[in-house]
Amino acid sequence: MNSKYIETVIQLGRRDFMQLVAAASGAAALSWPSARTAWAAGMNPDMINAAFFVETKPTMIGKGQGWFEQSASAKFNWSEVGSGAEINTAMAAGSIDVAFSFGSSPAAAGISQSIPYEVVAMVDNIGPAEDMVVRKAANIKTPADFKGKKVATPFGSTSHFRLLGFLELHNLSQSDVTVLDMNPNAEVAAWHRGDIDAVYVWSPAKAQMLADGGEHFPTSQDLDAHGYVIADLIIARTEFLQKYPDAVTGIIKGYGRALDLWKTKPDEAAAIVAKEAGVTPEVAKNNLGEYDFVSLKDQLSPTWLGSPGKPGKFADVLKRTADFLVQQKSIRSAPSVEAFEKAINTEFLSRAVQG
Amino acid sequence: MLSLFRTSAPEGRLDAMPSMREEPPLIVILRRLHRLAALPGDRWVTIATLGFVILLWAMVTNLGLVRDLFLPGPALLWAGFVDLFEEGYKSRTLWEHAGLSLERVLGGFMTGAIVGTVLGLGMGYNRKIEAFFSPFIEFLRPLPQLAYLVLLIVWFGIGETSQIILLFLTGLPVSAVAAMDGVKSTPVQRVQAARSLGAGDWQIFRYVVFPSALHEIFTGARLAIGVVYATLIAAEMIAGSTGLGWMILDAGRFLRSEYVFVGIIIIGLMGFALDRLLLYLERRVVHWAGKS
Amino acid sequence: MRRSLTGTVNAWRLDRSDASRSSTKSGVLRGWMRDGRWLSIVSVLSAFVAWAILSAFRVVPSDLLPGPWEVFRTLVAILQDGYRGTTLWQNIFATLYRCGGGFLLACVTGIPLGLAMGYNSKIGAAFDYIVQFMRPLPPLSYLVLLILWLGTGDSSKIALLYLTAFPIVTSSAMAGVRSVKTQKVQAALSLGAGQWQVFLHVIFPSALPLIFTGARIALAVTFSTVVAAELMAAKDGLGWMVFSASHFLRNDVIILGIIVLGVLGMLLNRLILSLDAAIVHWRGVE
Repeated sequence: MNSKYIETVIQLGRRDFMQLVAAASGAAALSWPSARTAWAAGMNPDMINAAFFVETKPTMIGKGQGWFEQSASAKFNWSEVGSGAEINTAMAAGSIDVAFSFGSSPAAAGISQSIPYEVVAMVDNIGPAEDMVVRKAANIKTPADFKGKKVATPFGSTSHFRLLGFLELHNLSQSDVTVLDMNPNAEVAAWHRGDIDAVYVWSPAKAQMLADGGEHFPTSQDLDAHGYVIADLIIARTEFLQKYPDAVTGIIKGYGRALDLWKTKPDEAAAIVAKEAGVTPEVAKNNLGEYDFVSLKDQLSPTWLGSPGKPGKFADVLKRTADFLVQQKSIRSAPSVEAFEKAINTEFLSRAVQG
Repeated sequence: MLSLFRTSAPEGRLDAMPSMREEPPLIVILRRLHRLAALPGDRWVTIATLGFVILLWAMVTNLGLVRDLFLPGPALLWAGFVDLFEEGYKSRTLWEHAGLSLERVLGGFMTGAIVGTVLGLGMGYNRKIEAFFSPFIEFLRPLPQLAYLVLLIVWFGIGETSQIILLFLTGLPVSAVAAMDGVKSTPVQRVQAARSLGAGDWQIFRYVVFPSALHEIFTGARLAIGVVYATLIAAEMIAGSTGLGWMILDAGRFLRSEYVFVGIIIIGLMGFALDRLLLYLERRVVHWAGKS
Repeated sequence: MRRSLTGTVNAWRLDRSDASRSSTKSGVLRGWMRDGRWLSIVSVLSAFVAWAILSAFRVVPSDLLPGPWEVFRTLVAILQDGYRGTTLWQNIFATLYRCGGGFLLACVTGIPLGLAMGYNSKIGAAFDYIVQFMRPLPPLSYLVLLILWLGTGDSSKIALLYLTAFPIVTSSAMAGVRSVKTQKVQAALSLGAGQWQVFLHVIFPSALPLIFTGARIALAVTFSTVVAAELMAAKDGLGWMVFSASHFLRNDVIILGIIVLGVLGMLLNRLILSLDAAIVHWRGVE
């Protein structure tokens, strides 16, 4: 081959090239860790990277009215996400500090994999607010009718969790039913085009599809009874909450303020949510009513998150969720309940409640 | 496996020694391995580098310098592979997922390559055909595939139809340009020589132009299958519910890095194999390449 | 002179395009007509007309296929008001920035490595298998991992594009060095040239055609991939615009995005082709 011949003829600065390559890789290796933290850091207390969903919940009020920014005394860099799975990835990568309405199911997955964040508050207990919507024309009346149909849900989310539970309970496998991974926006578009037969998702997408030739296929009560409880949470990256505890407390206070507005002046609250979520105030009010928004004080009770030093039952919910995910081979293993208890940090919540 | 132990006559190779014709293939393989082990320099550098990388990988993950999430260690990766192999992924075996992906690649590639080659041959021959079709080819070729996949989904819905049309449109311009270039770079002397011997148009095509263009056609085919393959994996992530690409997407949602890695390795190996397959085919078919 | 896919130019070719050109005005027009170049214009125009007819007469429902006029109006609207908080220029720039960044980084690191690999068979043996394995690896398959490692910003996307372009550029550079005729090297040496001079004046120029071919292919692949990179964790860019539009049933924005992407792709291709022609003017000459 040519190169060998050239080599023997020239005996060239082999050393020069090797040194160059070595230097380049050395430089790359050295700069790697600091480069990474440089990408992740560079936030000052002035900027908080937050992930949110477009949804019909008081979180939209806090965002839209700037109450989070006020109470946390910081500017927010908002990133919209379509599924809790995206939040897990972003948290693992260090790209976001705080996430709103993060589902209990991706939370269980994330905590099981030691992604460094902690649950600091609850947004709601979901109940019937997330459920199955089927196309009227698809004629789905019983669970067995789902065979051969296409169901869409955002993978890794609480809806996905519920859907998997539903399939499990009724002995349907993923080769019987085609399960498609789609974010809520994509689902609405696909629904409109007639591409899918059913969805398991939350509002406003859920409401839009119900209005567009869809009907309710109730599964939530059954699933809740079988232990497939789902909830939405507020989480914060561990490094972030250790560094800026006041900001975290402030965020929770801001959420409390938004929740209060819904409890005391529902019409006004619905109007703001409607604007943020792009739906009519009636639809917004309707959807808001479906959720069980546990008040900040109640979240401290043993039923839910518990108080500092006295973990509540929610850790069990997370543990059971994780166990199911292991069974589904979605995650490798689930840690003990203690790990989940440790991942729930109610200090900021209690401080926010005390005012 | 049995064929390893049976002898078979090599196909008329002039350099095959009479004694080799009687040796069972297994012995031949062992002999070749022995020759490999004795090879100095380069082969060992490759093995040494790969070994070093694997060692570094194992050390870094064992020492816990990097978390499992970001970089699963060799043991974990192996466990993941065994798991996928034995129990499949989400109620389909690994073979099924790989098979579905392979089916789509080959289907899309072959339809796109055949139609593209025919079109390209026409474009190479006739300037009018070239002038008519070249705006579309020039526009389609650099157009990012995922962008018009979105449009295809709007028109044809989610499912196999959009994927196949997408792969067809991906392979077509590459093959067309390759075939066109192949025709155009036929040495004129050969055509003139053939004509002077009294060959007709069709004979010139079949015996002069087409063989001459084959090298470029195969180069184009290798490029095409690469692009089609990459596009397929992306398409499975967007509009699929089965296949290797979908498997990686799904595993990625739950941050099952070991499944993602295994999937990537399998996808890479499959892509590598497809490329080598075409290279081998080219060598068998176009055995006159490089000779003028 | 047309350049074939593999970068070779054979002077003795069927394509007698040069012969049909003449210098007089009527000669040019006649040459043009004979060339059939008017056919290209006809085909593009007829495509547009077909599009307009299909949508105007509702052969295809208008929400599935907005007509050319509607897309034009969308273009004007987006230029004025932006799309979902981003301007068209912002999206174009973001996409080009990622594409260019990944591509240039790949060239800057890949070409030297490829040259080294071609020169020195040990280096070649050390890295070749890795490079060959990276080549057929579909970029989107490891995007998730890159996002995990590098975050949701531009870094993960540029890294993806870098890893896409790198093996192509590197193997072309390696092939370029290996294709240098040893007689030339010997000739230079016999004239008393030093090692560095041999490299600079003989090897590097001889390798340049293949390097440029590799760069062309790499740029094309990188441009295709940048749209894929904007599928996950993106807030701007032309790819993001198209995906987002598909979620909100804005088919007019989808078509607009595709047209802009297509035009950009063609422009980039032309750009690197002219760079190639300008710099590597000795291509094909032995």
